[in-house]
Amino acid sequence: MMKRYKDLVPWIIYFLVFGGMLFVRGGGHYVHLAMQIIILGLFATSFNVLFGKTGLLSFGQALFYGLGAYITGMAAKSFGPDYFMWALLAVPLVAIVVSILLGALSLRLSDVYFTMLTLAFAQLAWGITIKWYGLTRGDDGIQAIPKPALLTGNVNYYLFSFLVVTACIYFLWRLDRSPFGSVLEGIRQNSLRVTFTGMSVFRHQLLAYVISSSFTAIAGGLYAGIDGSIHPDMFYWTMSGSIILMTILGGMSGFFGPIIGVTIFVLLEDMVGRSTEYWSFVIGIIMLIMVMIFPHGIIGIATYFGKFFARKGGQVDNP
Amino acid sequence: MTTLEIKNLSKHFGGLHVSNDISMSIKKGEIAAIIGPNGAGKTTLFNQITGYISPDNGKIFYKGEEITGSNPEKLVKTGIVRAFQVASLFYDETVYNNLHLAALSYHGKNWNFFSNRHASRDIEDHCRFILERLGLSKKAEVKAFELSHGDQKVLDIAIALTMKPTLLLLDEPTAGMSPDERVKMTRLIKAIHEEFELTTLFVEHDMDMVFGIADIIRVLVRGELIAEGNAADIQNNPAVIEAYLGYEVL
Ligand SMILES: Nc1ncnc2c1ncn2[C@@H]1O[C@H](COP(=O)(O)OP(=O)(O)OP(=O)(O)O)[C@@H](O)[C@H]1O
Ligand SMILES: [Mg+2]
Repeated sequence: MMKRYKDLVPWIIYFLVFGGMLFVRGGGHYVHLAMQIIILGLFATSFNVLFGKTGLLSFGQALFYGLGAYITGMAAKSFGPDYFMWALLAVPLVAIVVSILLGALSLRLSDVYFTMLTLAFAQLAWGITIKWYGLTRGDDGIQAIPKPALLTGNVNYYLFSFLVVTACIYFLWRLDRSPFGSVLEGIRQNSLRVTFTGMSVFRHQLLAYVISSSFTAIAGGLYAGIDGSIHPDMFYWTMSGSIILMTILGGMSGFFGPIIGVTIFVLLEDMVGRSTEYWSFVIGIIMLIMVMIFPHGIIGIATYFGKFFARKGGQVDNP
Repeated sequence: MTTLEIKNLSKHFGGLHVSNDISMSIKKGEIAAIIGPNGAGKTTLFNQITGYISPDNGKIFYKGEEITGSNPEKLVKTGIVRAFQVASLFYDETVYNNLHLAALSYHGKNWNFFSNRHASRDIEDHCRFILERLGLSKKAEVKAFELSHGDQKVLDIAIALTMKPTLLLLDEPTAGMSPDERVKMTRLIKAIHEEFELTTLFVEHDMDMVFGIADIIRVLVRGELIAEGNAADIQNNPAVIEAYLGYEVL
């Protein structure tokens, strides 16, 4: 009973913070920030299914973020606002097909080569997007992507993104605690033993990769609707790199760690960006210090204090 | 009935012949031992039987069906399960969770990505039963890395047993144990062999154990089987004595 209650606490905080944004009056700027946070939060949480959970470092998840954004952006731009929703529904399906292909190729390789190959695929996608001007408008990106009337306006679109992201994150949370999640943790710790308990490491990794990539693509699709403006840089390695950084900052060992990392990162960027033009430099320094002081991320601090107080309360962990 | 049959198995790494034309068969319900000096190719033989590496030549049959080239996860599901020379565990997990993952696999729940992993009573009972049987119940909530070396070896076997094997392969079950622990381990292996109606194949350096519980003993030297028989046969075999001379006292 106690345990169930403890599981609910992060969800209550999640709903208070992100649901509360709907009631901030005249806070257009903050709603806009919150929109970026939940969408990147979905990206980072999906990424962590591979990274923190399964122990697979993909340096190319931006590929799926960009893919989702471009499918949605190009469809709505070419066929009209009504196609925004249809495109958003098609995004995970396309991502499933693409990730099965890329995953089957890259997961056959050992860890380091997996990381390199995912990076290579994403850079390739970036190159194609830049060069194929006729389809993607290259370096100009796609601007003024239309949305259906119902989704127009910051608050409306935030509400919509919040619902979609929350449903996705709930799904990933269930996965985190599921038997399949158990297998992924096993693969991270000792893949040999997973094999010898009768399970295919490759197939479980592939499903994790497909799920992670599909949710990343949904996040990309949602991003296309924030300002109606997307750019090939969504595919670029710096995008993948930022997600890795935010995930480590928040803590890769807890389910909500990545969202915390994203929140801090986006808020910092907003604060620092307004006061100095060297913001990326300043953020780099802050991140470096934080990661050095808290190697297990923000979540790590929380669990450390959690344990500290639990001990004080006289609880015994192990009989 | 024959549980395992190996015909003319060969494997080499570069110029090193680790399995050299090995043939043998193991009857249902037997406890069979393989002994041999370090580097003789005992673990490599296990790796081939369990599908982890494939032989260059030769065939392996399990219950009359050829399994050469099958992958390990399939073979585990058909009942060929192993424990390792160095305990292969989920070291950051509790003892209970180590078995739990194996039990999820045994009950075919490993693809379920939406339910709670601890929801199934059957799986819990399954784990509790194995824990109880191997004397690990009191340590159920201890992390695997915190266990003594001896208990880690027991847990390694417990994970294997959770998969309900027909043919259990144990690679040096008493490696690195105190004399006391060795006696206990020997008893444990004999007991689970009977209780779970296993066919057991084990590699061991501890001769008390080998001569104490094995129905049949085979000697592997430089990839070749040089002798086969019961304790008395092996102890008096001149080729065996020569192979072991100056290496270890029989
Ligand atoms: N994958 C491999 N590649 C190359 N050589 C290998 C490989 N695996 C094992 N060997 C070599 O094959 C030989 C047999 O190794 P194996 O582990 O089968 O011996 P063993 O009989 O189990 O010895 P021990 O009693 O020390 O466990 C050794 O010389 C080892 O170095
Ligand atoms: Mg060995």
